[in-house]
Amino acid sequence: MIYLDSASTSLQKPGRVIRAVSGAVTRLASPGRGCHRPAMAAADCILNCRMLLADYFNVPAPENVVFTFNATHGLNIAISSLVLPGDRVVVSGYEHNSVIRPLNAIGAQVIVAGAPLFDRSAAEEAFRQALPGAKCCVCTHVSNAFGFILPILEIAELCHEKRVPLIIDASQSAGILPLDFKRLGAAFVAMPGHKSLLGPQGTGVLLCGGVSRPLMSGGTGSDSTEGLMPDFLPDRLESGTHNAAGIAGLTRGLSYIMSKPAGAIFRHEKNLCFALAERLGKLPGLTVFQDGSRSAQTCILSVCCEQMTNDALAEKLDAADICVRAGLHCSPAAHRSAGTLERGTVRFSFSPFNTPKEAAVTAEAVKRILSDA
Amino acid sequence: MLHYLLTCRSLTYAQSASRALERTGITAIITKAPKSAAGRGCAYCVKVAERHLVKAISAFKDAGLGPPRVLLVSHDGAINEVGE
Repeated sequence: MIYLDSASTSLQKPGRVIRAVSGAVTRLASPGRGCHRPAMAAADCILNCRMLLADYFNVPAPENVVFTFNATHGLNIAISSLVLPGDRVVVSGYEHNSVIRPLNAIGAQVIVAGAPLFDRSAAEEAFRQALPGAKCCVCTHVSNAFGFILPILEIAELCHEKRVPLIIDASQSAGILPLDFKRLGAAFVAMPGHKSLLGPQGTGVLLCGGVSRPLMSGGTGSDSTEGLMPDFLPDRLESGTHNAAGIAGLTRGLSYIMSKPAGAIFRHEKNLCFALAERLGKLPGLTVFQDGSRSAQTCILSVCCEQMTNDALAEKLDAADICVRAGLHCSPAAHRSAGTLERGTVRFSFSPFNTPKEAAVTAEAVKRILSDA
Repeated sequence: MLHYLLTCRSLTYAQSASRALERTGITAIITKAPKSAAGRGCAYCVKVAERHLVKAISAFKDAGLGPPRVLLVSHDGAINEVGE
């Protein structure tokens, strides 16, 4: 099987992740619920992960690293902490529904700072125009549908100038692109653990720099006589039992990434992505969404098929044992920006474990499917 | 043997404190804070030997953890808060 859907979930994990999850299930209890050895082993495991994440993303203190179930959970906490009904909130034209739907549910006034695909200058200018008077800004670092790298540092600087708190969705960048929390000065950065951080599903991380409001209330193992959630992190945002086994795996996923030279994983995946793009670009009847400059795209490649529906192409690839995703990728806003809302796209996304041969075999499979159509 | 409990508002802070103390060579065991001293209920503390108290408080401050509440645990198990 060739797995090219890592933008949804990275399926191939380092062996150390699998061993850590497996070992944790029988070794770790619930942190903060006792001082016996299994509880303290869980507490140690979780603090180790917090410290590693704080180090990797340059977060001032491990307490500001909050564990969530996924990026959506973190984004909901961040948005509900900063946005009230009617607030003017600026977003990019490439947001996932995990941003748009919470904003709509609150009743925010959503202003889209739109820009053409892969045009970083236009994106920056759009934010410059839209930010004055905004209560909050939410921006994805990388489009999950097209791999477009938004100019997040420039947007963060603009937010800083205009004193607008910034929430960053790092779902498609964490573990691949440099992400310096302190330098960005963001109020919150949300990310999943199960994509490029190579942890298991059910893990997510919220880096907190601003005042937060709990999305859920419950037991924390602290301040138990108080009727409301504690006012300190991470307890304020972490009620209920932790996913200790998942966090054990996430620790090892991150340690795998940190064991590689800086940028090596990104270069590897990007080379595969552009090798595939080059081959697919030669096929008639296929529109390949590729950044010509190569500087504004990660390792996510979307294509649109004219000879058959994109769903049909994905099904035929699945029959050839190649896993890709077709549709809108929960990101209608991105497809509206790229002009693909009607049909969606087929998305190919890579992981550190994909090989040049897999990219070549995939290109050949697409070629064969199209010629048979 | 007399020992002191340095209270922390959460387990995460107690762990950070314990690790900061261990780095300075002080053995610091994490325990639940005694119910009578837990204030808002369910707090944690690090347990240090009497001879390490001054150095431990200094290590707390150096690690940016702020001055802890200090409790003296007597031979008979009685617990008393120690002032500045």
